[in-house]
Amino acid sequence: MDVTLNVKRFDPDVDQPAPYYQEYSLEVEDSSTVLDGLIKIREEIDGTLALRCSCRSAICGSCAMRINGQARLACNTKVADAVPNGNGAIVVEPPGNMPVVKDLVVDFKPFWDKIRAVEPWLQHMGTKPQHEHIVTNESMLDLAGVMDCIMCGACVSDCTVLEVDSNFLGPAALAKAYRFVADPRDSEHGWRLGELNEYGGVWDCTRCMQCVEVCPKDVDPMGRIMALRDKAMEAGYNRTYGARHAAAFTKHVEHSGRVDELRLPIESKGIFNIVEMLKLAPVGIRALLRGKMPPIIHKSNPGMDHVRRIFEKAEKRR
Amino acid sequence: MFDHDVIIIGAGLAGMRAAMAARENGVDVAVISKVHPVRSHSNAAQGGINAALTERGDPWEEHAFDTIKGSDYLADQDAVEIMCREAGSEVIAMEHMGVIFSRDEAGRLGTRAFGGQRHARTFFVADFTGQAMLQVLYEQIMKASVRVYEEWFVLSLIVEDGECCGAVAMDIRSGEVHVIRAKAVIMAAGGLGRLFEPSTNALICTGDGMALAYRAGAPLMDMEMVQYHPTTLKSNGALMSEGARGEGAYLINSEGERFMERYAPSMMELASRDVVSRAEQTEINDGRGVDGCVFLDCRHLGEKLIKEKLSQISELARDFANVDMAREPVPIRPGMHYQMGGIKTDVQTLTPLPGLYGAGEVACVSVHGGNRLGANSLLDTLVFGRRGGEQAAERAKKRPQSNITESAADMERAVIQEMLDRDGGGEMFGKIRLELGQTMNYHLAVFRDQQGMELALAKTGELRERYSRVMVPDKGKTFNTNLIFTLELGFMLDCAESIVLSALERKESRGAHNRTDITDRDDNNWLKHILVSQGLEEPAIEHSPVVITRWEPQARVY
Amino acid sequence: MKYAFYPGCVSRGATPELFVATTEVCALLGIELEFEPMRGASCTGSGILQEKNQRLGDTLNARTFAMAEATGLPLLTICSTCQGVMSQANKRLKEDSDYLAEINADLAEEGLEYKGTADPRHLLWVLIEDVGLDRLKSLVVRPLNGFKVAPFYGCYIVRPTAALGFDDNPQRQDSLERVIEAVGAEVVDFPGKTLCCGFPILMINEANSVKMVADHTLDAKGRGADAMVTPCPLCHLNLDGFQPQAAAQSRTPIDLPILHLPQLLGLALGIDPRAMRLNRHIISTKKMLSQVALSP
Repeated sequence: MDVTLNVKRFDPDVDQPAPYYQEYSLEVEDSSTVLDGLIKIREEIDGTLALRCSCRSAICGSCAMRINGQARLACNTKVADAVPNGNGAIVVEPPGNMPVVKDLVVDFKPFWDKIRAVEPWLQHMGTKPQHEHIVTNESMLDLAGVMDCIMCGACVSDCTVLEVDSNFLGPAALAKAYRFVADPRDSEHGWRLGELNEYGGVWDCTRCMQCVEVCPKDVDPMGRIMALRDKAMEAGYNRTYGARHAAAFTKHVEHSGRVDELRLPIESKGIFNIVEMLKLAPVGIRALLRGKMPPIIHKSNPGMDHVRRIFEKAEKRR
Repeated sequence: MFDHDVIIIGAGLAGMRAAMAARENGVDVAVISKVHPVRSHSNAAQGGINAALTERGDPWEEHAFDTIKGSDYLADQDAVEIMCREAGSEVIAMEHMGVIFSRDEAGRLGTRAFGGQRHARTFFVADFTGQAMLQVLYEQIMKASVRVYEEWFVLSLIVEDGECCGAVAMDIRSGEVHVIRAKAVIMAAGGLGRLFEPSTNALICTGDGMALAYRAGAPLMDMEMVQYHPTTLKSNGALMSEGARGEGAYLINSEGERFMERYAPSMMELASRDVVSRAEQTEINDGRGVDGCVFLDCRHLGEKLIKEKLSQISELARDFANVDMAREPVPIRPGMHYQMGGIKTDVQTLTPLPGLYGAGEVACVSVHGGNRLGANSLLDTLVFGRRGGEQAAERAKKRPQSNITESAADMERAVIQEMLDRDGGGEMFGKIRLELGQTMNYHLAVFRDQQGMELALAKTGELRERYSRVMVPDKGKTFNTNLIFTLELGFMLDCAESIVLSALERKESRGAHNRTDITDRDDNNWLKHILVSQGLEEPAIEHSPVVITRWEPQARVY
Repeated sequence: MKYAFYPGCVSRGATPELFVATTEVCALLGIELEFEPMRGASCTGSGILQEKNQRLGDTLNARTFAMAEATGLPLLTICSTCQGVMSQANKRLKEDSDYLAEINADLAEEGLEYKGTADPRHLLWVLIEDVGLDRLKSLVVRPLNGFKVAPFYGCYIVRPTAALGFDDNPQRQDSLERVIEAVGAEVVDFPGKTLCCGFPILMINEANSVKMVADHTLDAKGRGADAMVTPCPLCHLNLDGFQPQAAAQSRTPIDLPILHLPQLLGLALGIDPRAMRLNRHIISTKKMLSQVALSP
């Protein structure tokens, strides 16, 4: 089939480097991947095109890039599936949230710095067992879901929080952190959770699902972040705004079946938190003036006894 | 110029295990790799790692025998004994570092069956054992703050007074060429799969390490022994783990017959890889294949087992062959997978070139001989990676740094400049590489003969000539991948020549080297290794005896 | 066309204008909303309950689905977040019959059972899939010609695609653009349209949350948008309610009116802006309304 790839290019070696787009038209097999197309360009059409790739089977994590605006592995994206509306050009760009080195090659330093920041190595105090650690296969299978991560950076590329705040640890590093917090052999869970509870950690995720959607290995980074939040709260880290917000939210649903938007911010920030209460005031006043204030008296839904019993049962089952 | 006690070229399992060991022995270590460590090809190892745990009633000697039989008696038995004896402690050490090995019901390490072995002794992490181990070793490298020259491409080894004392390497990011001095150098740069097209190997597997050592004067051994894996995906040649057959998958032909019954009635699908690949190729050649393929049938294994233990290959089948493994047989064929041969080393990993050590696929110690057992490659990387790290550290402690200077890199700088200065008109590397791959895959595959190998030799000569005029269109400094590929092709051509010469030399059929014109194994004349060294004009070929400790060669039946 | 109506918490709390606009618009579109039998339905959990206890969230949603099944009517939502959380729960419940049976055991004492037939759909999808864009066009009395509108979806109505039936319903991918065009307005496309509005971290990291508001609204405005439309009341809360903070934080005036999806429809269908409480937004819609030749 004939296809056009519109590739975002950047050459740092020219006098005034600036990104630009270059269109390549080529013929590929119907079963070809976008990577096959890029390799063909690089080997037959334009030898100056730079990209990383190696295994061609979604294991090495080298070829994450944005294809039609979304982070993917070029090696497991079929050209036929990527052609917009069956004919237009496929837009190929470097992954986001990392500085571009050349063309589709980005600098992974920020990525690895964050991985390193979660101290991603097994820490066990005390004496090692003579043979292997005895642990359940289920616990290892759960970790296998995270170890499947090939560090391709697709999740980091498309993370909406990283777009506004580069201090966020990000989905890959947090999933890596989960791998140790959920490892029964690791003895530093408490310390790890404490660190992850800080600014830039688990509570800064917006749950936007970008990482879930773009992960080529179904690692579900966001799900791991949610699990870390739960583990942090279970471990007693429940004084953060995030933990208080989650607790207040849960309480409201349990008691009335729905959220009480008037009390949620107050309870999240803490009624005695004068600074934050003052910050909330103008928002409240504006809402009041516009008649957008939620009802002062928060009415419960009918049939609430049933909802409460569902909560009780769910709590017991944990 | 940079100085270290020990440098390690390659950051796969062998390289990082060596780095850990050298570090633990108290020397300053650096790792040089043309890709980030976790992108190394070790991550493609799927099925597992072999180890006989004596406390489980599996004496290491049985593992050693299986390995030697698998090698068609070409492996050096002293090396095999070391590998199998030290296997258990290496696996346990990896578990302690954090590898999430599958467990049995009692929570102990679980095992699966693997080809060519009478005992289930393969420890595994689903079907991404290599990746799971590679990540853990990288974690340890981070923890130990080992310096990694990430995306640095080694251009040559520095030899002075007959000893290896460093390397010349290019920082791919900046294009600058530097000298890195070291008191000991460990080569752990992996295999050469891309000499063959198709291959299960990643694009980075271009035989750099073997060629670097060869050019520095170290001999290459057993190079004719090229493993074709029995189950590679039809569409793109991707590897479908032997773990599938270990878990009970069948091989069937176009008639739905489990044809291995006719080739290996007792081991069936789990006979050694050379045997299974030949059986498949025979079926295909005799017209019982479909489109050049036979089938891997996992339907009876059930969705749950596939999801838990074969998740990665089921994704590969889905993404690249459009097949739901739980419901349809997967079209597969033999595909080039592994190089048993490599830089000759002794059991302490030292090569004949003092100061240069080797471990992993790049090296040939030789534990795999004529055919490697599945799940022995990861073991090889760890055992000999560790020994290499220890030995190199010991050497480094006793010696001063050499007094070579930055000018040691001048030659490489000039070579690159000359390459970049060639003006238009010449061809790019791509077509030469493709023709090389097709030639090797046609004439040095599962079945070989004199005429075909001679054609291959003539072809490599022609390609070499064309390569001398190859043109690099990218003249930039930053991340000039075109230049890198062109340099790699030079390494590939050296390796290809050594493979063809070794294969022509061996006038028998043994292990993966199967000649249709000389079909029998000949222990009287060819129970020996073939070595190729770079001569002054022509490559020099020598023989060396195989070390036999306690297992005399027997007929090989599965 | 009659639907079991699940309005969600926010349209009955902080964005009452959404509830009334929906009621008005649906009446004109011939969509009957049955709210009474659904009054006892709880919050979906919004992804927050699911953090702690996914099974609890799934039970609450199964309960809602069972209530809808009991009415014999299809289930209609007006909130991207409710839609996404419900779709994800429904996928899990439908895929695993053992899991569904366990959850039904917990619903039994209330006399409810979820049979697995519910198919919650947002008004946005219903417009295309049930009402039809041709019919919508035919009902337009005041085509919004020349009105430039930026779409803003809200995460949960676009991700994860596996749960949202995008494969079988490819029109859902750009449903908002289709609707904007159907009412005669012009689409202002921008990359942020499927990204996060920042609302979920408003209480946790207000600076980041508000920066998201600023980034999206400024980008859309820079591309010429007169207004932004969203099918998600949570996005609306942030994009509208916290736009003043966003302007202050980025030191740039923004003043981009944010419309709920039914409000955009209502303008084209001739509904009085006041009846849709367009005068009750934090960011004034006055200038925008005069532009489409209407006054609030």
